[in-house]
Amino acid sequence: MSHDNAAAPETAAPDMTGITRKQLKRMRRFDNPWNNPKLIWGIGLLLGIVLLGVLGRFFWDPELVFTGAGMPRQGPVGIENLRGQVGTWAHPLGTDVSGKDILALLIVGAPNSLYVGVLASLIGMSIGIFLGFSAGYTGGRVDDVIRVSSDVMITIPPLLILVVVQASFGDITLTMMAILIAAFVWQSPTRLIRAQVLSMRESGYVQMARLSGASNMHIMFREMLPNLVPYLFGSFIANVTTSIVTAVGLEVLGLGPQRVPTLGRVIYDAISSAALTQNMWWWWGFPTILLGVMFIGLLLINLGLDEVSNPRLRKL
Amino acid sequence: MSVLDIKNIHIDFPTSKGVVHAVTDVTLSIEKGRRIGFIGESGSGKTTTALAAMRMLANPGFVAGGEVHLNSLDGDTNVLHLDDEQMRRVRLRKISYIPQGAMNSLNPVMRVDAQIWDAVVAHEGGLSQADLQARSDTALDGVGLDPKVVGRLFPHELSGGMKQRVCIAIGTCLTPDLIIADEPTSALDVITQRHVMQTLREMQEKIGAGLILIGHDMGLMAQSVDDIAVLKKGVLVEFGPVRKIIEDAEHPYTRELIASVPLVGGDSFLSAQASPPKGERLDKPLLELDGVSKQYGAVTALHPMSFALDGEEPKIISIVGQSGSGKSTMGSLMLGFNDPSAGQVRFKGDDINAMSAGAKLAFRKQVQAVFQDPYACFNPFYRVNHALKFPYENFGMGGDVQTAMEEACTAVGLDPSLVLGRYPHQLSGGQRQRLIVARALMLSPKLLIADEPVSMVDASLRATILANIHDLKDKHGISIIYITHDLATAYHVSDYVMVLYHGHVVEAGPPKEVIGDPQHAYTRLLIDSIPWPDLDRDWGDADDARAALDELARIGGTPETVYRGDIPGFTLGQG
Repeated sequence: MSHDNAAAPETAAPDMTGITRKQLKRMRRFDNPWNNPKLIWGIGLLLGIVLLGVLGRFFWDPELVFTGAGMPRQGPVGIENLRGQVGTWAHPLGTDVSGKDILALLIVGAPNSLYVGVLASLIGMSIGIFLGFSAGYTGGRVDDVIRVSSDVMITIPPLLILVVVQASFGDITLTMMAILIAAFVWQSPTRLIRAQVLSMRESGYVQMARLSGASNMHIMFREMLPNLVPYLFGSFIANVTTSIVTAVGLEVLGLGPQRVPTLGRVIYDAISSAALTQNMWWWWGFPTILLGVMFIGLLLINLGLDEVSNPRLRKL
Repeated sequence: MSVLDIKNIHIDFPTSKGVVHAVTDVTLSIEKGRRIGFIGESGSGKTTTALAAMRMLANPGFVAGGEVHLNSLDGDTNVLHLDDEQMRRVRLRKISYIPQGAMNSLNPVMRVDAQIWDAVVAHEGGLSQADLQARSDTALDGVGLDPKVVGRLFPHELSGGMKQRVCIAIGTCLTPDLIIADEPTSALDVITQRHVMQTLREMQEKIGAGLILIGHDMGLMAQSVDDIAVLKKGVLVEFGPVRKIIEDAEHPYTRELIASVPLVGGDSFLSAQASPPKGERLDKPLLELDGVSKQYGAVTALHPMSFALDGEEPKIISIVGQSGSGKSTMGSLMLGFNDPSAGQVRFKGDDINAMSAGAKLAFRKQVQAVFQDPYACFNPFYRVNHALKFPYENFGMGGDVQTAMEEACTAVGLDPSLVLGRYPHQLSGGQRQRLIVARALMLSPKLLIADEPVSMVDASLRATILANIHDLKDKHGISIIYITHDLATAYHVSDYVMVLYHGHVVEAGPPKEVIGDPQHAYTRLLIDSIPWPDLDRDWGDADDARAALDELARIGGTPETVYRGDIPGFTLGQG
């Protein structure tokens, strides 16, 4: 018995003959899972929204979000409003009843909505990672308390509580709103991480690390956490989506920040000023489209990440 | 007349790295009533070839060329030309399949007889309840299970061997022309394995079907089949009657496969070392178990046990037993992963479960382990170096890590440039297990707990890895506790053997006595159940196996320990 035996693969070697260039290109994509079209498109869409906020400030005047910035009730370029006025390039996407420029509202509002979602999700994930590891790794009483409380919290509809809280707060800042929403998005990452940690705790490499005299901190953050990264990413993106939906829901009810433009706030104003009966579709239409783009982007990222972490979903 | 003819079959798997020709140009025929063994290592294409006959290849595999003729079909006999509905009728009725893991192949929410009715109804249409009951009773009766009792049970109420026999009952209830059994006993211990294999043989002879037995154990093949087909990397390297293959194999690979099965009493695969280096002299024993027992709820995994191992002269102590005998519990108790329910585990006189953090680190440095599963032992996120480097640095061992790693790899027969810096999934199971041995070597502990270190490694590599472990004792003066179910390897590597049964030591002593000439009924049964790659040493028939199981049940209660002599440096507590 020779020693080289261990190095030789037991399966027959792959044969590369008769493979077209196109097939080869697809195979390469398979090799680098991050090179995933869904992921790239999703990131592209979200980056587009961020760029809209950043570059928009240079090419368009953000001061136009204030009341009386232009003629009220103007349609987008070339579109006639009910008074027969045709929209001009002064307000390419039109204006609302008080003369606020819709394009400026989108440029300022879209990044704000995204900011609330990302911040709420970041806070929620941090809480989730901390509680999930504590519950899964420590076990016993700690686990019981964390598990029961996260299970209870999952059954409470967040909008119900948030409506009450925000209504009593009156005007709040974006950051405050993100913190409030974060109080309702930590449960699912907690459960997810707890379950993963429970199964990983018995795995061979964790036992090996214990044999190596590793501390609990080392085992949790150096051995386990890296293997959770795909789950964490997926959970993070899902949480951003939930947070944005919750934030927009509150804003459309008129409960969000009163002085800061957000996409939900624009839609609320449109509804309360009877934009639907005045046929001012551009007022609520453009923010809705932007929200749609945001959600599609997040969905694509999530699907892409799923394929990255689960090779079975990838197709040759 | 042949039942199945496979002609020039090619099977390809397109993968990201190119097309893998899993099976290349295999031609063979299976005669009626004859048993063919497909043997080869994992990835050799043995299962793939057999599954192609049922058109059940795993995605994305496909038959790239060749023909498979099932001769009992009317008209066109080529199985590859059938449509899905015709193929459905062929499966189970003409060709049945007995899977590897019976625990996963039975429906957990259906009673056993209902699962047999399912099979009958799918192929013969609706029958009356009485007819169905009669069919399932016959099928269960045939495999030696009591239909009145077992038929009404759910799969989780059965033992592993019973589940596998239920699978055989399902596989034979429609009297197929061909039975494909894919490593049907790989998850079972030797005693149950013998019973299941004999049941399978009996049923196959009764219905006169052909049998394809897929496996990697030459001994099991020798005891069960008529012809052997040896596959390597998708190529049929040798095919012939079992006696010719075992006694006069032509292909070197076949000879290697046969040689890799260690025999009790045969030549040792280890090279003897003149004078092993001595360990340090201690006042207290290196490892001492003092009345240690372990209970899980109402189940006693380990009855009170005491032994002392002084580390002065390195020893290999084997703990042998079936699954559930408490041997792995002993391993985790000795590593301090598990607290004993009673008694103390002492290392150099200190209770390992009452150590300060500093003492615990020192204990960890001196007691290392090799586990069963080489796939799970590496963190998939890191390169394999991490597993070697981290403990080395954590224990504050001086010297250059890189040199130490390279030396350790070379010592276990690995080329450092080929394995270091790779990710675990890029290495084979054998390479990973050797790396774990290299890790142990690098840390130069005083004691190594090897828990089934070779049971998940391909047969041809087992001897090499065991030799690596044996070298740890001979060349590096490390005492080793070798936990295994494999008596033949324990016979060769160990200085002292303890046979464990239901948490009791039933027989203990030097291996030549315990395994070479067993006295206790359980040890004898274990040794009789090993399938020897020797045609003249018959395994007995199903009645023998049944009698043996009855014997086992009789001694089940409180077995007596048979002491077969002592060796210096190790004392097993009496009583």
